[in-house]
Amino acid sequence: MSERTLSSFFKVQGINWRMVFTACAIALTILIAFFLSRYTAYRKAQEQFYGQVLEPAQDSYDFRLVDQNGKAFQLNQLRGKVVLFSFGYTHCPDVCPTTLTDFGKIYRALSENDRKQVQVLFISVDSRRDSPETLKNYIPYFDASFLGLTGDKEQIQEATKAYGASYEFVHHPGEDPDVYFVNHSAYAYLIDPAGKWKAIYDFDQLRETEKVVADIRRVLKSR
Amino acid sequence: MRAKTLCITVLSTGLLSTASAEPPPVQITNAWIREVAPAATDTAAYMKIRNLSQTALELVGGSSTIAGKVEPMITTKQTRNGHEVLGMETVPRLTIPSGGTLELKPGGNHIMIMGLTFHPKEGDQVKLTLKFAPGDHQIDLQIPVSKEPPK
Repeated sequence: MSERTLSSFFKVQGINWRMVFTACAIALTILIAFFLSRYTAYRKAQEQFYGQVLEPAQDSYDFRLVDQNGKAFQLNQLRGKVVLFSFGYTHCPDVCPTTLTDFGKIYRALSENDRKQVQVLFISVDSRRDSPETLKNYIPYFDASFLGLTGDKEQIQEATKAYGASYEFVHHPGEDPDVYFVNHSAYAYLIDPAGKWKAIYDFDQLRETEKVVADIRRVLKSR
Repeated sequence: MRAKTLCITVLSTGLLSTASAEPPPVQITNAWIREVAPAATDTAAYMKIRNLSQTALELVGGSSTIAGKVEPMITTKQTRNGHEVLGMETVPRLTIPSGGTLELKPGGNHIMIMGLTFHPKEGDQVKLTLKFAPGDHQIDLQIPVSKEPPK
């Protein structure tokens, strides 16, 4: 096709190429600006996550324990839900009740619908004293839906190790062998519905109920 | 809202039970005892203790009608593999400098109430006696039981 026929073809169609290019350029600019703003908003949302986000998110360790009703429990059975959990022991007079009270406030601040998709767990590292029966008289006090878990020494060791948590028993010479303290990590761990370990919260961060609730809502929305 | 704040000034004689023990020169505010779950064997008391005297004071222990033992306790923090581990340690004394305030709060220093013989409920008042040194200082307190710090 010669240049002449080409230009006459366009003339026939009545297309003004300058206009077309300008329109395309404007459309492209708008499109780029739109995606850029979406991306910035996405990044900002990520940055605004209140918990300490694990980058990249890790697969959660699928611990196998026993719940307060004596039933076998494994983390994977909660796939599809957001899981919030911590390690502790029932003889703990200060740190654990503080964390569990915070968990209760966070859980009850969620909408009824969101609550159906969230499970709170408390894993006792004190297998000697914390039987399922003990946990049954301890955990529901903070919320009827919460589950207390326990297991044998090896199971507890594996679960704590997988999440970087640690604990040690502090015995007092000359005291009753059943009277001892347990030093332990007091973090809360957030698992997303896909079973990824998403974030951790330190002991003090849990006081900010609304901020943790916003994180949970964000995780539920991003499914 | 400071309505729930418990404020005890030492010289209000109604609070003193033992005539022999002298009241310590302290002002106690924001006191509360944690309500606990049925299986719990221990709880904790929290408050702010201001030393009104010219010399340092030491909180050395106490007793309560609801438990076997009352001890000053500190919260310890260690780092293992980059993770913080919280623990507790009984201490013989917690020192309050002259004019200073000792803040006992969740996750920090507190008064441990061990071996509960009775589980008080939110709204109850629990009698707690605190002992101070030097000297034979003692103060009897009626502390409200609550699930959370008073607002």
